[in-house]
Amino acid sequence: MAGLASGERLAPMEKGRRLAFLRGLGALFQGGTVLAAAALTVFVGGLIYLLASGAAPALAHFGGGFLLRSVWSVPTSSFGGWPEILGTLLTSALALLLAVPVALGVALFASEFAPQRWRSPLAYFVDLGAAIPSVVYGFWGFAVLVPFLRGAVEPALAAVTPGIPLFAGPVLGTGLLAGALVLAIMILPTVAALSRDALRSVPRSQREAALGLGATRWEASRMTVLGSALPGLVGAVTLGLGRAVGETIAVALVIGNTPAAPRSLFSATATIPSWLVARFAGSQGLERSALFELALVLFAISLGLNVGARWFLGRRELRSALPGPPTRRRPSLRHGDVRPKGSASAGVPSWWDRVEQGRPPRLRRRRQLQRAVLVLVLAAVVLAALPLASLVSTAVAQGAGVALRPSFYTSEPGPPCGLNASQGCPPGGIGPEIEGTVVLLALGAALGIPGGLLLGIYLAEYGRRTFGRGVGLLVDALLGTPSILLGIVLLAIFLRWDRPDAQSALAGAVALGVLMMPIVAKATDAALRSVPATVREAALALGFPRHRVTLRVVLGSARASVVTGSLLALMRAGGETAALVLTAGVSTYWLTGLRGPAPALAPFIYDALTVYGGSPGYVAEAWGAALVLLGIMAATSLLARLLFGRGTEAGAS
Amino acid sequence: MPAKMRVEGLNAWYGSRQALYDIDLELEERATTAIVGPSGCGKSTFLRCLNRLHEELPGGRVEGRIELDGENLVRADPALVRCRVGMVFQKPNPFPNLSVFENVAAGLRLLGVRRHDELEEGVAEALEAAGLWEEVEDLLDAPGTSLSGGQQQRLCIARALAVRPEVLLLDEPCSSLDPIATARVESLLARLRSDYTLVLVTHNLAQAVRLADRTAFFYLGKLVEIGETSTIFHRPNEKLTENYVNGRFG
Repeated sequence: MAGLASGERLAPMEKGRRLAFLRGLGALFQGGTVLAAAALTVFVGGLIYLLASGAAPALAHFGGGFLLRSVWSVPTSSFGGWPEILGTLLTSALALLLAVPVALGVALFASEFAPQRWRSPLAYFVDLGAAIPSVVYGFWGFAVLVPFLRGAVEPALAAVTPGIPLFAGPVLGTGLLAGALVLAIMILPTVAALSRDALRSVPRSQREAALGLGATRWEASRMTVLGSALPGLVGAVTLGLGRAVGETIAVALVIGNTPAAPRSLFSATATIPSWLVARFAGSQGLERSALFELALVLFAISLGLNVGARWFLGRRELRSALPGPPTRRRPSLRHGDVRPKGSASAGVPSWWDRVEQGRPPRLRRRRQLQRAVLVLVLAAVVLAALPLASLVSTAVAQGAGVALRPSFYTSEPGPPCGLNASQGCPPGGIGPEIEGTVVLLALGAALGIPGGLLLGIYLAEYGRRTFGRGVGLLVDALLGTPSILLGIVLLAIFLRWDRPDAQSALAGAVALGVLMMPIVAKATDAALRSVPATVREAALALGFPRHRVTLRVVLGSARASVVTGSLLALMRAGGETAALVLTAGVSTYWLTGLRGPAPALAPFIYDALTVYGGSPGYVAEAWGAALVLLGIMAATSLLARLLFGRGTEAGAS
Repeated sequence: MPAKMRVEGLNAWYGSRQALYDIDLELEERATTAIVGPSGCGKSTFLRCLNRLHEELPGGRVEGRIELDGENLVRADPALVRCRVGMVFQKPNPFPNLSVFENVAAGLRLLGVRRHDELEEGVAEALEAAGLWEEVEDLLDAPGTSLSGGQQQRLCIARALAVRPEVLLLDEPCSSLDPIATARVESLLARLRSDYTLVLVTHNLAQAVRLADRTAFFYLGKLVEIGETSTIFHRPNEKLTENYVNGRFG
């Protein structure tokens, strides 16, 4: 009895002191979250400032004409961004055109048509496709897709369409078509996963309403599901486009990376990110400024796309989202035009005869249509699975040999050896790359995960007013910022602050941290918001101070989603290449300290193909590294699914 | 009265959990049958079996025989079954992406009605039959979800009536409505009674008394008793039924 009546046990004075102490803790905690929000604001502001001030000399020198000129000449200091801008727009548009129909088919199958027990494995493979690092896609494109295009597809296209400029020019394999295809394959899982979520969010009652009228599954989808999910679908596609526009490494490996405006689908060209990653680190003076200007253009494009996409994704009502829905103007029925005849069974309408005679009316055709759609949708699933299967099987075939050797995990990559001396290459390994990845990820996580948590808590719990909404927008903006831009900005910061060792493990770790932070923040925010208000109220009613409610009760019940978000962020950072190529530098040696360059798994694949010119020994080790990355991603996705029963694609992708 | 539908040995499952056990009953033509019983006794499951919607749920499985005019529905094309046996759901679920007009026309379009005058005639008749015409005459182009809750439910009834179903299933159609809207839906159902074969799942025993010719009492997935509504409520055969209709449990 006395144990329950705590008022008897704590003197009022003491209670007051304890409360004051808790209030102090609460203020400290809230201060931490506000600090994280402020730091984010400063960082995004700094990002824009650095891009703009870096671009200023080029802007002053070339004026608006920069955007429309096709020239890139260091000796004459003459630069124009038209080929890269055009290349970016064309590859992305083409990729979208190729990917969206297939992705929608996969989403429709996964959400509407697939038998229940297929849905979970299907979701896993879609998640896995979205989790595979872009450098692995690029490597596969370089090693499998480009030779295939050069050997079979492009000659055939050129042969059947003589004289059409779209399919003219030298057949290289690398070029616009290869870039667009790799991009399409890369963004397909992302678009499919987000589209499936949009379809799944349509309440079951709507499907049942349509089915209850006698609709087939396809008719139900067409009648109501697709219409209701439209804003979400538009958002998914826009986000996919944003992903395509900012993709760097996969494109850089297959597009030829030449500053020439494409003349046909086969032309070697460049995109803004692919050009940035190739040129930025070694550039100076006016060229660097021109690159900054390109980066600014890229930032503006991706910002617009991402803000647009999230706006659409946030809508559930079509009418408030799309200006002027497609209401076919139908004159309302007026008295005199049609006179209702009392109860529905009183008068027999003329169409009823046809229905009666043909019972089941049109049913054969409708069933055939349902079957045809099912075939199309299944074809989309197969089409989506083919590149994934090819990628995994190639990585296994090429990488399993080296990856099975224990010394592969402990030794340095073999020294570059002659292109035609493949038998003489000494066996190397990826020990330093594994070490570097672990160190970079650990340091990055130490910055990104606590920072993201505080930021997410700020967004969900404190940032409810204008500034809070602004911070939310900044998180979205950072989430959609191509990682190559983070790399450029961080490199610029470290160059100012730490000139001789600008490219360092430290810079790389900061880049990964900044990359992870918005992902964790977004997941935390969403998880906290999904905790019902009643839970919060129950804790508040017990006299919990606000920060304890947040930390113990709310965060406790949202733990699974927060952990999943952090796993997602780790996976993204573990596969990150573009930002690390710029910030962590090129190295194949064991770490000597945080101020020196750091190797890592994903950048190693890129370096093996570019810096080391595809030396056979390195390429074999790169396949081993790709296989290791694939294994890690597959295992982490599976872990997340088994532990928390949900995918890692989340809303944060 | 001849039987419109006949159910024999109906069993239904959700995954491994059995929800209905060996149901046998007959539904009379142009009569209203109420299904009553405590929550979770399988009323809605039974109703959803009648137009094959149960099997659309994850893990939903059905065994047994369901006849409509002597034809076994369990073997038939579900799309055909559902346009002969219409359904109105617990919560109004008009298509939010379609206008009032298109909501009602949706079923007609499925049946291949394309001509505008035919569509307009069918929509107007169905809305009139659902007692909604006067209220929405000028709102035909507005979204279906812009109507009030009671209007939405009558819109859903109109949508189901437009395709001239032979049987209309109603799954607690008033449970989410306020008393005034409930009264309007009830008076609509009272008017439809003479023309349609209605099956009404309800929690509200007074509603069953007001509307139903016959009443079936379900308990724990089994049919306890079916008979004339007055018999069920005043002189039931089973003690269990008597206890339920007198409010001793449920």
